[in-house]
Amino acid sequence: MSEEKVKVKVTHLTKKFGDLLVLDDISFNVREGEFLCIVGPTGCGKTTFLNSLTKLYDITAGEILVNGEPVDLKKHNIAYIFQEYSTFPWLKVEENIRYGLKLKKLPEDVIRERTDEVIRMVGLEEFRNYYPDQLSASMLQRVVIARAFAVKPELLIMDEPYGQLDISLRFKLEDELIRLWQETKTTVIFITHNIEEAVYLSERILVLTNKPTKIKKEIVNTLPRPRDVTAPDFVEIRNHVTDLIKWW
Amino acid sequence: MTEIEKKKKRDKIKFTTISVISLCVFFGVWYVATAVMHLMPDYSLPSPVQVVEAFFYKLGNKAPDGGTLFQHIAASLKVALTGYLLGAVIGIPLGICMAWFRRIDLFVTPLFDLVRPVPTIAWIPLMILWFGIGLGAKAAIIFVSAFIPCVINSYAGIKQTRPVHLWVAQTFGASRTKMLFTVAIPTAMPLIFTGLRISLQAAWTTLCAAEMLAANKGLGYMIQLNRSLARADLIIVGMLTIGLIGTIFSVVLGKMEKKMVRGGSKS
Amino acid sequence: MKHMNEKMEKTLYAVLAIASFFLAWELLTAFTPAGETTPGPVEVLRLLFTSFFEPIGKFTIYGHLYYSIRRVLVGYVVATVLGIIVGIAMGTSRYAEAIIKPLFELIRPIPPIAWIPLVILWFGVGELPKYTIIFIGSFTNVTLNAYTGAQRVDPQLIGCAKMLGTSDRDIFLRVILPSSLPQIFAGMQVALSTAWMAVLAAEMIGAQEGCGWIILRGSDTTNIPLVLVGMVVIGVVGLLLATIMRIAERRLCAWNRMDV
Repeated sequence: MSEEKVKVKVTHLTKKFGDLLVLDDISFNVREGEFLCIVGPTGCGKTTFLNSLTKLYDITAGEILVNGEPVDLKKHNIAYIFQEYSTFPWLKVEENIRYGLKLKKLPEDVIRERTDEVIRMVGLEEFRNYYPDQLSASMLQRVVIARAFAVKPELLIMDEPYGQLDISLRFKLEDELIRLWQETKTTVIFITHNIEEAVYLSERILVLTNKPTKIKKEIVNTLPRPRDVTAPDFVEIRNHVTDLIKWW
Repeated sequence: MTEIEKKKKRDKIKFTTISVISLCVFFGVWYVATAVMHLMPDYSLPSPVQVVEAFFYKLGNKAPDGGTLFQHIAASLKVALTGYLLGAVIGIPLGICMAWFRRIDLFVTPLFDLVRPVPTIAWIPLMILWFGIGLGAKAAIIFVSAFIPCVINSYAGIKQTRPVHLWVAQTFGASRTKMLFTVAIPTAMPLIFTGLRISLQAAWTTLCAAEMLAANKGLGYMIQLNRSLARADLIIVGMLTIGLIGTIFSVVLGKMEKKMVRGGSKS
Repeated sequence: MKHMNEKMEKTLYAVLAIASFFLAWELLTAFTPAGETTPGPVEVLRLLFTSFFEPIGKFTIYGHLYYSIRRVLVGYVVATVLGIIVGIAMGTSRYAEAIIKPLFELIRPIPPIAWIPLVILWFGVGELPKYTIIFIGSFTNVTLNAYTGAQRVDPQLIGCAKMLGTSDRDIFLRVILPSSLPQIFAGMQVALSTAWMAVLAAEMIGAQEGCGWIILRGSDTTNIPLVLVGMVVIGVVGLLLATIMRIAERRLCAWNRMDV
């Protein structure tokens, strides 16, 4: 058992919008290389939580440390996959993927190498020179995922990225994500309202309460991979989480 | 070809023929009413033949308004394009800054809203009083008429930027400036081009008015002078030329837009 | 708490901006050579005030406003009515489209202002040439928008109506016209500002009264305060017209607004 390094340390995270308390004194840690899922009832502030984590929103109180330092988007290598479609419509697929790399001023040969690698990983080689308006929804999400993985992020945050897709695509992309995660050993924080997805992907699940949001329960998920959604132990965990959300 | 395709082709031929006939009828009636029946005196409504003759005549002759057709066109184009380019070069960055920097937005937009309702033509007498009758006054007026749509459209284009795109840039560590250049401005390009198109039309139209009031060459001047000489044939030549050049501008900019702007116009 | 500050901040800046504009104007005209020709805001306001009582040329400001607005209304209303009819005809009947469109495309590129000399040659300097210019300016805008609006009417709506046995006249009045109304309204708004510009141009070139004439008179007599007064009046009227149209649109096309 290697020593477990703490990647993200969140202490007393509090967020208020005016007088409305949304996040209420939340504290937790994320191990390096861990796949953490966050679930909770709809409208409980999951997105606010993620945005506060990355300082896209200013927080009212609390501390967020990445690698022991306050989180800083310019210093830390963080990638964020949003719920809405976020490909840049004026750039081709390849250019979209290169965007983060160019922004971080990496040398051209590195950019080219990583772009090729990542395009291959998500299977979009034929579509390199297509524009987003020519692609289907699942392809767009794969572009976004490729764009995120291209910068080899130390922390990957995903906000219900597969919410708009149908089941078969979802399964496919979830497997792809696990594969990418295992290859790159990134730390992942993944938000979803789909409990089956959370149990399928995660090593640990944080269940949030309704607003004002706190952590209700933490569930460790050590099922071996590849996971079978019909297996009894899978179903047991799933039911457990569902119960936690139903009765707040 | 399938039945439907055949019918579509037949319809297309049918309707195109109707259009052609319609045009012929129009010119035919015009011709008959003027050259044959002389419903109106020549000086106020010439026949189409006379208009064509006047056109060819004007290609080479300076009389009676002091310049050949090409000289007038050149004079008009020079003023129009000068004012237009100035208006675009200043207007587009200003619109962008107004939309991107909150302080500038709060301060400049009220001033802009103060000036906006005044139609550009109304500026002509003031500009003439300030700059006299020359290139300066006209360029200033054209500048104003091109400037306003460029600002408005660039502003709207930047405001269209989707927050999620800005957030993507931000999470990759982009500074505000980088966000402006790699996200906001590309988003605004379609509307910036719309602004360029609209302001070119506005510039061209305002120029005609300005030339009618204070000039000694140019297409606007040409039609105004020929009115006092009762040369309707030359007036019509001038009008059609003005319309034709306006159309060419539209087409050229439309093509440039298609080539340079991609994506976002559908959003 | 932050949101209330936002609105206050906006108003504060606006007031600040306009105040500094007038201040700068006053300072520039009082203390620089430009002030010898250009009047300060106080003088302009004074002249504006007196113009309500003392005539400029033949009329007080009321008279000029009356003429300009009447000309706009006559030309505009006729253009709108005809434009809607022609536009919808073109949009719904391929025959009408085939016949009218080529002629329309011939006339459309010519700016209304370019018609002024020809129209004056034909009709002289009375009211008719002005109505004509304004008509030409507005007509093309309304027709074009009515045309595209009618073209875009959902054919399923028309099919439904026909299936229910609606007469052609009713289909026009109760299906096509309402569906294309937002587009038509957009055209009418543009046409109104074009009409306002056209009337000014017509008045600057061949008239004895009207708002456009006022600025020309100011220009001819090197009376800059008069020019500025004219511009202010023109701007205010233009703004009023645009606001009226926007309010009308909100009422009539309420069902189309996406932010409701």
